[in-house]
Amino acid sequence: MFRGYKKNLAKSNEQPNKAEPKNISIPTSKIEFLDQLKETIHSPADLVVKNISDSITIAFLEFLIDGKTLNEQILPTLEKVNNASPKVIKENLLIAEVDLATELNHCVYEMLIGAVLIHVEGHSELVIAKISSYQSRGLSAPENESQVIGSQVGFNENLATNISVIRRYITNTKLCNEKFTVGAETKTSLSVLYINGIASEEHVNTVRQRISDLNVSDLLDSAVLSELIDDNSLSMFPQLLLTERPDRFCDGLLSGKVGIVVNGSSMAILCPYSFIEFFQSREDQNLRWPIATFIRLLRFMAILISIFFTPIYVAALTFHYEIIPQPLLVPLSESRAIVPFPPIIEALVLELIIELLREAGARLPTKVGQTIGIVGGIVLGTAAVQAGITSNILIIIIALCALSSFTTPNYLMGNVIRILRFPIIILAGFWGFYGVMLGFCFLMLHLLRQSSLGAPYMAPIYPPRWRDWSDSFIRLPLPLIKRQSVNARANDTGKGTNDNLAKEEKVIR
Amino acid sequence: MKSTLQISNDQKINASLFFFVVSAAQIGVGIHGFQRVLVKDAGHDAWISVILASLFSHIIVFVMVKTYELYPSNDIYGIHQDIFGKYIGNFLNLIYVLYCTFAFYSVIRNYIEVINTWVFPGLAQSFISITLLILVIYAFTGGLRIIIGVCFFSFISGIWILFIVFIPLQYAHYNHLLPVFSNDLTSIFKGAYSMTFTIVGFEIINTLYPFAKERNKVKKYVHLGLLCTLIVYLSVILVSLVYFSEAQIERTVWATLTLFSVIKLPFVERIEIFIICFWMIIILPNLCLFSWSAYRGIQRIKNIKGTTFIWIFCLIIFLASIPLQSRTQIDKINNIFAQIAFCIVFIYPFLLYILALTKKILKKGVRKH
Repeated sequence: MFRGYKKNLAKSNEQPNKAEPKNISIPTSKIEFLDQLKETIHSPADLVVKNISDSITIAFLEFLIDGKTLNEQILPTLEKVNNASPKVIKENLLIAEVDLATELNHCVYEMLIGAVLIHVEGHSELVIAKISSYQSRGLSAPENESQVIGSQVGFNENLATNISVIRRYITNTKLCNEKFTVGAETKTSLSVLYINGIASEEHVNTVRQRISDLNVSDLLDSAVLSELIDDNSLSMFPQLLLTERPDRFCDGLLSGKVGIVVNGSSMAILCPYSFIEFFQSREDQNLRWPIATFIRLLRFMAILISIFFTPIYVAALTFHYEIIPQPLLVPLSESRAIVPFPPIIEALVLELIIELLREAGARLPTKVGQTIGIVGGIVLGTAAVQAGITSNILIIIIALCALSSFTTPNYLMGNVIRILRFPIIILAGFWGFYGVMLGFCFLMLHLLRQSSLGAPYMAPIYPPRWRDWSDSFIRLPLPLIKRQSVNARANDTGKGTNDNLAKEEKVIR
Repeated sequence: MKSTLQISNDQKINASLFFFVVSAAQIGVGIHGFQRVLVKDAGHDAWISVILASLFSHIIVFVMVKTYELYPSNDIYGIHQDIFGKYIGNFLNLIYVLYCTFAFYSVIRNYIEVINTWVFPGLAQSFISITLLILVIYAFTGGLRIIIGVCFFSFISGIWILFIVFIPLQYAHYNHLLPVFSNDLTSIFKGAYSMTFTIVGFEIINTLYPFAKERNKVKKYVHLGLLCTLIVYLSVILVSLVYFSEAQIERTVWATLTLFSVIKLPFVERIEIFIICFWMIIILPNLCLFSWSAYRGIQRIKNIKGTTFIWIFCLIIFLASIPLQSRTQIDKINNIFAQIAFCIVFIYPFLLYILALTKKILKKGVRKH
């Protein structure tokens, strides 16, 4: 699937690339230059061309530049230095980013980002004054990853703003920022961030490699990127974290992960990420440790409940009546007595209703969404029981499962946990506990087989890295926690074992 | 030594994982009903037989590890080729591969029997074997790392069953154990011999040993693993001895499961139904390890891909499991397997060690002259 997608895109990319000549030198005469420029950029309505004097012409795209700087800095300077060479103009401009270029396509690309091109009659060089300005929303609270205690700031869609926020958190010379451009059509810029010396060189190289190997026409969101560069795109499970919280992002960087920030997307990527870490919240760090541990254990119990509780109900009622104790059997059979469907149909229908409610609630505006919750939850639920379509015990179980699945702090992972229930319910309906165990074993094997950037997905449980257990499904007091996981220090441990092996071999000989 | 294995560092596994591997490989279907054969031979002193059998296995492991320490990096297949030459060596390798296949077959067949008797009398045997084999194929194609992971998770997730075993102690008659040593020593040894089917599995280090990261630590963890299984077996046999009378055990095929069926928890009754289904995760490591072990041997004889091997292997097992139907046949298979296993696991390592040592001394002697 994934490979096919890639290949198709690669084919469609090649044709326009071939049609374009690669290097166009800049014409010395003004009229030719303007013709050439308009031809390259297909003369859009927002292209502004202005003659400053007989020799100097400037061109820019109207809404991409900062008008104030243009009026206060560039125009007066250009008035002053009439008839000078581009070099002199460059020296006289009081702007931080000024460049000289001789290649038209490059200049046009810069103009599309937000630069003013200054052409001087008789010179084949352009002055590029980069005064781009963005229209972006301010930093608002993260809506999908809210937390009670902790900072209330989230990323926005602007790469520059996001990086400035990260730099405010981590004032460190070792914070590396590598820029990439992805997408033949969109030329989306993205930054790979890591802390030199903490992040494993191997992981950084893998990320670099995978991003530069990408051959896509467009990249509009980091979620797409995360699917394009992960290890197994056929798996249901997310292998890289998407977060909109700068504090969580910086926390990841400091513990040795590699981060990717994509322009135009308010979610940043952190990798490699393990299964356990998806169930951690940044807030756990801010609570007292016994409470954080309790909440984490609660979440893991919630996963098990959410995936296996309904299937166990279905299995027990379809095949294994004998495992239900006598006192429980009476109310159970009483509530089941009038239900005309087998348990599997009953459970699947109710689960579907819950999913429908969730989806309807997510698509509607917040205020209407609440109404839907009440209408669906109370009205549908009660009515269904009174009409004798479902048993009220199943309603309790389904509600419990739905509730448990919402405790997962990560939205993508929460989706997976919810969807996983359906195949297991079907297995349970067909083969009872045997089917449930088949699902369980398959799930376990699947999780064991996954990796994130080549690092094991189930770490630190398997391979067991006891030292990292201090901050996995429990959280010990902060002084006891090793900041960087063994995963991130892959290089060091590798060396250590090599040395050990060398020693051993000597002993054997 | 041509047969020396070249194993890259990222394929190797931590020595501490050998603890889980050995425990997971040993505990399988045998534990469901080992009390009957044991008590037939050793009476109510069966628990001494368990300790004795475990003691033997410690000695065997000691000898095995000593054998592998003679070589820089080699498994049983390579040692065979080194000692006996290509043809006889490969013949012995084939026997060991067949032994692994037989073990795999025996595990899967016994489990199907238990499922059919206790949980789903009507469920087709071919369905159960196909589903189990698919799981094995899925695990096997992931590589050794995944197989060891299965062992680890099987151990971790199965540990709660051990605590369930003690619940029937409320009905215990401790005088069933007395007087200690009322059976003579031969019958106790005989009981230890009939533990073979239950206690084998640790011979996995025959093939897994060269994959350890820190070789000098492997010994410690293997012995710890054996100790862990001893604790499990000892608790099960002690609880069954004090719960059942001797005559009762002799007539109970799966005493452990019967033991589970008396347990009543506030939220579940008849927990053995759940436990038997849960047992899938306990036998999965057995299946994976034995198939992997067989693959290592086949690879020495003929170089084929792992994926091709496991599909052919599973097809053979599936076809072989069709004709066997009745309980008596399965019992017979178990007995034959136990005899073969006794020879291969409990006697042969001594022979191999002596041969390997002689060869090494001879070689040194030749070099000196």
